[in-house]
Amino acid sequence: MKKVLLLALFLAPLMAFSQGFQVNLEGQKQIGMGHTGVGTLQDGASVFFNPGAVAMLPENYLQGGISPLFFKSDFNPSGTSVQNRTANKVATPFEFYGVWGPKSSFWKFGLGVYTPFGGLTDWGNTWQGKYVLESLNLKAVYFQPTLSFKLTDFLSIGGGFVYNHGSVDLTRAIPVANSSGDPGQAELKGSGKGYGWNAGLYFKTQSGVTIGITHRSKVNTTIAGGNAIFTVPTSLQSSFPQPNSFTSTIPLPATNSIGFGFYPSRKWILALDVNLVQWDVYKTLSFDYKNNTAALQDTHSARNYQQAVSVRGGAQYKATTNLALRFGGGYASTAVADGYVTPEAPDANRVYGTLGLGYTFAKHLDIDISFEYEHLMQRTQTNIESQLSGTFKTNVYIPGVSLAYHW
Amino acid sequence: MKTFKQHIYIIAGLLLLGACKTEIHTPKPVAGSADFSRYISVGNSLTAGYADGGLYLAGQQVSYPSIIGKQMQAVGGGTFAQPLFSSSQANGSGYLSLTGFNADGTPITTPVTTNLAIRGQQAIPGFGNVILYTKYTGDINNYGVPGIKLMHITYAPYGNLNGYFERLLPGNSPTNSTTYLDFVTAKPFTFFSNWLGNNDALSYATSGGAGDVLTDKSTFAYLYNVLINTLTAKGQKGVVATIPDVTSIPYFNTITVSAILTGVQKINPAAKALYINALVAGSTYAPRAATANDLIVLTFPTSKIGQTVSTPYGPLPYGLTPYTPIDNQYVLDEKEIALTQDYVTAYNTTIKTIAAAKGLAVFDAYTFLLNIKKNGMVVDGVSINSNYISGGLFSLDGVHLTPRGYAIVANEFIKAINNKYNSTIPEVNISDYNGVKFP
Repeated sequence: MKKVLLLALFLAPLMAFSQGFQVNLEGQKQIGMGHTGVGTLQDGASVFFNPGAVAMLPENYLQGGISPLFFKSDFNPSGTSVQNRTANKVATPFEFYGVWGPKSSFWKFGLGVYTPFGGLTDWGNTWQGKYVLESLNLKAVYFQPTLSFKLTDFLSIGGGFVYNHGSVDLTRAIPVANSSGDPGQAELKGSGKGYGWNAGLYFKTQSGVTIGITHRSKVNTTIAGGNAIFTVPTSLQSSFPQPNSFTSTIPLPATNSIGFGFYPSRKWILALDVNLVQWDVYKTLSFDYKNNTAALQDTHSARNYQQAVSVRGGAQYKATTNLALRFGGGYASTAVADGYVTPEAPDANRVYGTLGLGYTFAKHLDIDISFEYEHLMQRTQTNIESQLSGTFKTNVYIPGVSLAYHW
Repeated sequence: MKTFKQHIYIIAGLLLLGACKTEIHTPKPVAGSADFSRYISVGNSLTAGYADGGLYLAGQQVSYPSIIGKQMQAVGGGTFAQPLFSSSQANGSGYLSLTGFNADGTPITTPVTTNLAIRGQQAIPGFGNVILYTKYTGDINNYGVPGIKLMHITYAPYGNLNGYFERLLPGNSPTNSTTYLDFVTAKPFTFFSNWLGNNDALSYATSGGAGDVLTDKSTFAYLYNVLINTLTAKGQKGVVATIPDVTSIPYFNTITVSAILTGVQKINPAAKALYINALVAGSTYAPRAATANDLIVLTFPTSKIGQTVSTPYGPLPYGLTPYTPIDNQYVLDEKEIALTQDYVTAYNTTIKTIAAAKGLAVFDAYTFLLNIKKNGMVVDGVSINSNYISGGLFSLDGVHLTPRGYAIVANEFIKAINNKYNSTIPEVNISDYNGVKFP
């Protein structure tokens, strides 16, 4: 009659595609210019940046690039001098674009495959927040076929359909010790899909300024039947039934953007983009386990994200016909309100700066390299749900390279 | 070769990025107005690291004073020595281990009886047998002695009656005459923690109000004054803790009257009530039906219920009639609870008053544990409450703490110290400490 209630041993997994997971690495020329590209026209990456501008591309494009991402977070638990750092792991966002249309035609077809959201965070299994998160590997790959039409010489429109293939692999410790005192382990691993669309408009004014307006829709991504793997002491196995699976839906937010291109001389392009990201769709994160027990309940965690704004600016200087030098930077506000910051992507307001270099070989082949440094402001937080309390600070280093063939 | 060189630069560049470290600047920990160079801890079983019904090496190693002592080393603290059991006698006094669950979810605990540090026992006339443990002869900073009451600190023969204290003394029982207070203050120290007084109320409560008595309130106040005056005689600073409400521990909240009755009614639907021998007034006890306000101890063998007892009125089922009430030792009844709480409140007033007068830091364990009982708490993603086993805070004996519980308490002491003395002793990572171990 000694009642043992193993309630609430397993709190909600903290998983989110937060602003920290919006990777913003969709074209090396654009990265070099502060990741602007809504109101300017550079290459096939317009499929992502502004499908409305694709029809204005003077050539056909086939291009691909990669941006190895070094995400370096540090956590200092409140009341200590301890520094918990994420392991050195390199995420690999990539982008691929193809754009084709008949010569001098009024339309173009494009295909983009890119990674707008993702994250690779590994805090290890000994840090203070191990019961919140040990590691997270999250990927979203968007496939986007696109059609774009030139309505007049100064106005074009376009739109695309988005298929998202998302995957997640999350590990965390469970606070039940075995006979050696080691905690249990949970791994949630699965993949899923979602659909969305995007559309854009591109406009050349008489003064020479170019303007782009785009909307990328929300993409609800559902991971159904993912593996829920629990390693717990034998005597508790029945409370964490195996095999088990989980279902979860994550809304990837809609983004509205406006961008401008200025051309003070033949050698210079100046670009300015503003994005409004509707993270406020992200109210709750729920995990629905197929087999529930008293210890393993479905979870519903409040996220209460807020809209986020980013402002980006950049410039390109054509040093010679073949060589372009680029630089830029920007500011992005956080989507995560105070009390909701979690270690999987410890979000904060961020500033970043970029550099880029482009060289064209034999008029048809561009090689572009870029480098981005992002700094997330130091943020001291106590998470409402987990009570994990401390200071997060993150730096991100992202070199990148791409090849573009155009004809 | 040229391309090779370029590759080298690229690889070197990537490695360089890999080596970049993000750094949060934290101020260097300081001792504030306190001197932590020799910290001693004064107290009972909670201070010794007692857990799962015994004192054993693994429990000693996570005692809250040892955690505090280690954290103090960042602000000038010295080595913190504990009277540890040797690794070959790591199981010390023996303890309970969780070995499984019955089909109905109730836990099965099994005593650990190997690798003990028991060296024999000594019969003390008029007292009984005292179990003696292997002597410890090294340095001591942690003076926690399981079972000690505040009432005992100036009692000279106590070193012969408590095997855990005898173990620390050079002489053998029954030849000891050093008081606990003299023993702990024999060597100079600069800082102390004191969490004495629990047993002055708890021993009465855990014996169901039958096997022990509450320490008189004015005796408690007198001795607490003596204790603190002695500890602060050379201007030492320190931290003291209040005494938890005895009803906030799972020892009294796991086996409930209604749970037992529900079990009985499954077999015998006619059973209407459990009967206990309850306090009326003074030392008068009388049988009555138990209510939800009466607490049953964790160690009550529920199988006794309903067993036939021969009485002057014929054979009757145990616990189910006014003639066969549950023995007093298994029940802390409503009036006994009220009595205990009255004493604990008085003790705590004494503790806080004296601490305030001496400018000492106070960890209000009474408020802290009562709050966990009412609301639970979440620490770094781990939900903690006062429930037996699943709560993560209390060990298998339902009174003492788990490693996680001791780490939480250590942080509360550290916060109280830092708050009082403007020090910044770093807090400990509670995630490093486990709750109850499951097989």
